[in-house]
This record gives sequence, structure tokens and C-alpha cells, in this order.
Amino acid sequence: MNKGGAGLGGGAGGGSGGGPTAAAAAAAAQKQKTLLQRVDNDIGNLVDNFGFLVNVARVNDPPVRNSQEAFMMDMRAARMVQAADSLLKLVSELKQTAIFSGFASLNDHVDQRTEEFNKLAEKTNGTLARIGEEAVASLKDLESHYYSSALRTSNPPEP
Amino acid sequence: MDEDLQISIDKLPIKRLDAIEESGSERFPSDVGYDEKRLNLIRRIDFGWAVEREDPSKKQKSEGTTSAKESTTTNQQPWQWQSLVENLQLAHQELSVIIDLINTVEANDAVTVAGMTRPKQLPNELLSDLAVSTATKLQCFRHLGKYFKQSATALEKQVAREARFYGALIRLQQNWKVKRHRLVAAASGNEGFYIDLFYNSLHDTSSSLRPSSMSTIPIEHDTAGMLAVNLPPNSCRSLQFEFLGSHSANNMRRSGETKMQALSEDSSRETIKEHANDDECVRETHSLLREVHRAIFDEQVFELVSREACNSSLSVNLTGIQENYLRLSINQGASVSISLLLSSQDNKTTGAGTNHSETETVPSELSDVSKFGEGKDNVKKLGLPNRISFEIYLQQLFHEYVFVKVKNKTTSSVRSQITGQQSKDNLNILDHFCMSLAHRIFSNKVLSELENLVCRTPYVQLISHPTWHSRTSSWTLSMKVPQSILHAGCQIQSSGNSNVKNVRSQFWTKVVVIDESISVEGEGNPNIVGLFNGKPESNCPINRYECDLADLPIILLQHVASQVIQWLHEEALTVGIKVNRDFLSLAFELDHGEIASLVAHVDPEDTRGCISWWLTMDDGLTEDHKLHPDLSIGESESRKYLGHLSLDVLYSTLLDFVNLCSF
Repeated sequence: MNKGGAGLGGGAGGGSGGGPTAAAAAAAAQKQKTLLQRVDNDIGNLVDNFGFLVNVARVNDPPVRNSQEAFMMDMRAARMVQAADSLLKLVSELKQTAIFSGFASLNDHVDQRTEEFNKLAEKTNGTLARIGEEAVASLKDLESHYYSSALRTSNPPEP
Repeated sequence: MDEDLQISIDKLPIKRLDAIEESGSERFPSDVGYDEKRLNLIRRIDFGWAVEREDPSKKQKSEGTTSAKESTTTNQQPWQWQSLVENLQLAHQELSVIIDLINTVEANDAVTVAGMTRPKQLPNELLSDLAVSTATKLQCFRHLGKYFKQSATALEKQVAREARFYGALIRLQQNWKVKRHRLVAAASGNEGFYIDLFYNSLHDTSSSLRPSSMSTIPIEHDTAGMLAVNLPPNSCRSLQFEFLGSHSANNMRRSGETKMQALSEDSSRETIKEHANDDECVRETHSLLREVHRAIFDEQVFELVSREACNSSLSVNLTGIQENYLRLSINQGASVSISLLLSSQDNKTTGAGTNHSETETVPSELSDVSKFGEGKDNVKKLGLPNRISFEIYLQQLFHEYVFVKVKNKTTSSVRSQITGQQSKDNLNILDHFCMSLAHRIFSNKVLSELENLVCRTPYVQLISHPTWHSRTSSWTLSMKVPQSILHAGCQIQSSGNSNVKNVRSQFWTKVVVIDESISVEGEGNPNIVGLFNGKPESNCPINRYECDLADLPIILLQHVASQVIQWLHEEALTVGIKVNRDFLSLAFELDHGEIASLVAHVDPEDTRGCISWWLTMDDGLTEDHKLHPDLSIGESESRKYLGHLSLDVLYSTLLDFVNLCSF
């Protein structure tokens, strides 16, 4: 619940931009209240229906009543599963809200990644420059070695 | 007959007619009293079974006799359901009695059923009923248990699927823009997530680019519930830069293209390796999105290139245009093509044929220009650089100058190169790129000429000076005096020669190519004024002038030859020889007034050596000794061909003149 509230608060903050306005805060609070209400309803349904199932475990004399209770048990079980599915959907909605909410942490992460990539780019540029310098030095050495080598001085000139 | 007629009427008896005969006679039942009638009705009810039950002893005795008889005859075990059958028969008898009684009561209006009471059940009957009810309820609960188990399994799977999906989506969100289309979510039942890859940093409306068709990539679910990014085949294009007239043998496309084939197979993995697949799936999705991002960038680069190519320019000429294909003609007689190629799934081989299968829009006349082997020769002949390096350079130019300039307010290094090289403010990137390309081709030609010269001039070395500028190249031709000559010179100096040795040991000629203009700078050529004054040794400043490629070899050879002449002149002065220097000749005054000239002859086409030497003799009476002798006449008595001499031999020749010359 707290995480959902934090997510909603973050969403409200992210949505308003500069800071949570009164309307945005009120909307966020209302949404939080609605979600909590849904959670309470679903949990209440689960508990109530399970209580009914436990209570109806008593064996009654008339067989007709047993049939009636069997039908009711099926109905209560279906309601329990429906409540669980509703909770699952609620969790999905919270996750979707979290994806489009926590922009502060996302921005921090993006800034961090940007900084890392800039450093990587600088490092790469430095590496390229170093490679270039080494290539120049190597070229200079190779040229001097070649032109002072016996291979060039002894062999007749070739086109 | 007068008597009164008397009629007597007898009451007809109200009786039910039993039967009536054909003769008309009627039969009536016998008169039975009410009580007798009641008794008769009661007697119809059979209470024989009750009598028999009340006398069980009689029954057992009779059964004992029968069982004894049966046991003596057969030894069979009683059937397990025998008691049940007997009970059912007894129940049937009771039911038939009751039904008879009810029918009788219905037939007789005088008797009605006041009520029926259930007989009090026996304890075992109660327990059996309870057991049946309990078993039924237990069955219901077991059914519920199965239902709950199935539901729990399904919900757990759903939770796991969503956890995987949203976990992967949150990981993707760290690097990509995830958006949601609520209308699509409502219509299709999917969440409606998609990734937005479009990045338009060009705030200038005139340069704004239209979004690509691949800018929005929908996020879907695969069969395992994991998020999947499915792209239509042949949707990603990559930029390719190619020189026309040369076929690029190295057709290594980007390695990421093959990844797109494997991504479609991710959805078939088993659930046993889910965790490993999740990481791999996210990683591969990242790679796929990166490839699409790169494809979008290539499309934007191509669009910008197309826009700039359509503008008239001096350095680039648009000679062909098709969909996703441009052909440009640049200086130096080269033509290039810039195209967007599809990443084909059939591209499994690298070779000459693959490029043709990929390129859809290249005209057939261009695709048949050259083959693999010919392409290599053409590359060497035309001096074409590596196409991949210029492909990367093109992308880097546009990326740095167009896409990054918004973030980087200060001028980038590319911009400084462009503005430093050209004074025009409206120089576009394509112009700079084509000029760089033309410069590279031209500088390759210059380098080949320089290498050709240096190869045939043993005492000249070529030194490269990388400028790290895309349109500037620089080399130096260096001529070093051999160490043996330097040592010999020191010995001469130490022997008491009064002349101060002021001979340099190295001469240089610098060749700088800026765009397509060559400038030659170096010392060695004597001052023209000094030449006319007869004092060429007075001043030999560093000259700098421009030339074209055709004249470059001869000009460089003349430079080198004049440097050799200058060196010989300085050496001669050092040893005290009276010499006169001309442009390419060194005249020695001999004892008898004769003039011996050492003349350099330069020929770039000479395969044995570019600089050859002639010795001419002159009697000193004519004025022609200062002019270049006509060496094309050939050898004669006054003219002798010395050949291609090294510096050592030239120095030795110089020393030989010591004895002949007057001081």
C-alpha cells in the first residue's frame, strides 16, 4: 500500500512538472483512496466468502438443504476467485502507474547513463587520439627504418 | 269394468348393477350390510407379513429346515447383496400396501387420510443418512478444493507472466521511451505499450525531419507472456556508401542484422529456463531496438543528404536519384552512391554476389560495372579510399553537426574544420564530405606520385605528416647527406682548411595538399635575381608556390636536383674550389680556363632513376655555359653521360675536381 501511495505521489509530482499543485495532490489522494477502497472490498469479499464456506460445513438433516448449500458454496467460491482476479488487476494497474510515475528516479538514471556515455565517448576519443599518435610514431619509425635499410639502398630502383 | 283402477308403485331399489344379461335380466349384488362392507374392505388389506413378523420363531424353524435341506444339497455362500434385495422387497411390499390403502381411500369417499407420520427412524438409519449427507458435503468441498487449486495455479501463472512482462518493461524503460496508447489498449485488450524511438533534436522547422515508420514500436506479449517486439520483415534499412566503378569485396554488413532473425525465435523457449531467457530476451530486445534506432538514424542521414544534394553546389553534382538511392559525382572523376539497403534475411554469405541481392534500387547498368577482381584494381588505380571509413565519416559528420549541435552550444570540431576550411557561411555538410572525399582521392594520387619519385631517388626519403584534418595532407621529401660524407668533411676541416664548414646535412621539400591544390615549399632553388646578377649563392630563400598534379613530379625533381647542386656548391666552397652555380648545374673553372659543368637532368619517366648527371666541358669562350645544355643531343666530346649517381659518388667527383680546379 505504501509503495502504491509513493508511486501515486511520484506520479502526481511528475505529472504536474514543477511541483504538486493542490488539484493534482487532491486527485492523487482521491485515486489512492479509491484504490485502497478496492483493495478493502476485495479482501473483504475474500474473507466473507471464505467465512461462509466454513460456516456451511455443518451437515444438515434435510438433503434438500444440502443441495442448496452446495450451490451456495459454488457461488461463494466463484466470488472468491473473482475477488482474487480483481486484486491481480489492481496490481497490474499499480505497475502501469509505476511505469509512468517515477520520473525522478528515471531522470536520475538517464542522467547517470548520459554521464557514463559521455565519459565513454571522451575515453574513446582519447583512445582514438592515442592510437593516432602511436600510428604517427610508428609510421615515422617505419619510414626511417625503411629508407635507411639495406633493402632500399642496395636494390635497384623500381618503378 | 267399472271398478277403480288401482296402481301401486314400488320404490325402485337404488342399487348398482352388477351385470345385465342379453335377455334383459339384471343382476344386482347381494345386499350387504355397512359393517360387513367395511370388514370386506379391510380384509382386502394383506397383513400377512405382519403376522409372519410377529411370529419369527415359526419363521426360523421353517427356515432352519429349509436351510438344512439346502446345506445338505449345496455348499454355496450367500450372495452379498441378498440382504439388500430382501430389504428392498420388504420395502416394496410396504409401499404396495400403502398405495393400495391410498387408492382404496380415494375410491371410498367416506374415508379420508387424516395424516401420515413418518415412522421413527432407527439409529443406524439416522447414522446412514448422516453419513450420506456428510459424504455429499465432503464431495462438494473436494470439488471446491479442485476449483481453488486450478484458480490458484492460473492466478500464479498470471502473476508470473505479468511480473516478467512488467519487470522487462521497466528494464527497457531505463534506456528507451515507453509510452502508452490508451485507445489501442481499450480496443485491442492489450496494454497498448509502445516504444517511441523518434528523436528530433532539430528545432529549426526548416530542418525538421519527418518521423520514420519505425519510430513507434508496439510491445506485445509472446506465448509465454514475456514482452516481445515484433517488427515486420525488411523494415530496417542501413546506409551504404559505395564508389561506383569499384566493387567492394568486403560486404560485411552490420552484425546486428543477423540478430533480428534470432529474435523471432525467442517466443518458443521453454519455461524451465525462464530466468536466463528473461535476461537474454531483454538484452536482445535492447539490441533490436538499437538496430531500429540506428536504422532510423540512417534514414534521417539519407534524408538530409538528399536535401543537401538537391541544392546546387560546386563540389557535388547529383547525377542520379531514385527511391532510397542517390548517385553523386564529385571532383577527381569519381562517382559515389549513397543508398538505403534492406537488411535481408538471406544475407548469409559475404562476397561479390551478395551486394547485388541486397540492393534493390541500384540500376542494372551500375550493378554490372565491375566484378571482384576488377574492383580491386580499380580501387588501386583510382586511389579510392576505404568506403567503410567514409561511410562512418558521413554518419559521424551528420551526427555531430546536426544531431548534437542542439545539445552542444559551442562549435564542434567538425564545425571548426568546416568554417576554417571555407569562408562561406552556407557550406553544408555534404559539400564538406565530398570535398574531403575528393581531397582524399587526390592526395592518394599525390602520394603515389611521391612514392614513385622517392622509389627511384635513393637519397630522398618521404616523410608523412598526418595533419588530422580531413582536407589537408602534408609530406616532406628529405635529402640527407650520408654520414660518410659528413665524416670526410670533418676530416677535411680538421686538416687545416680555413673555410668554415657551413654545409648543411639535410635538405627538405614540403608538399602540402589542401583540398585539391598542391603547394610546394622548400629551399634549393636559387634566387632569380641572383641568377641574373650572377650571384646565385647570395640568397636561396625558401620558396613556396603551387602547382598541379601533372607538373608535380618535374617540379619536385628540380627541387631535389637543385638541392643537390646547392649542397655540392657548398661543399666545393668548403674545400676551396672555385665554382659557379646555376639552376641545375655546377660549373668548375679548371686550370686552363676551361669550364667543366656538372649538369643534372631530371626525368620523371626514367625507370632507372629520376635524376641523372652529365658532365660537360666548355672552353669558357662562349656564353652558353650558363645556359642549360641541350642534353637531348647525346654524348659527344664535350658532353659525357655520367648516369644516376649517388651522393657519395657526386662527392667523390667533387673531390676529384680539387686537383683540376684553380683556387
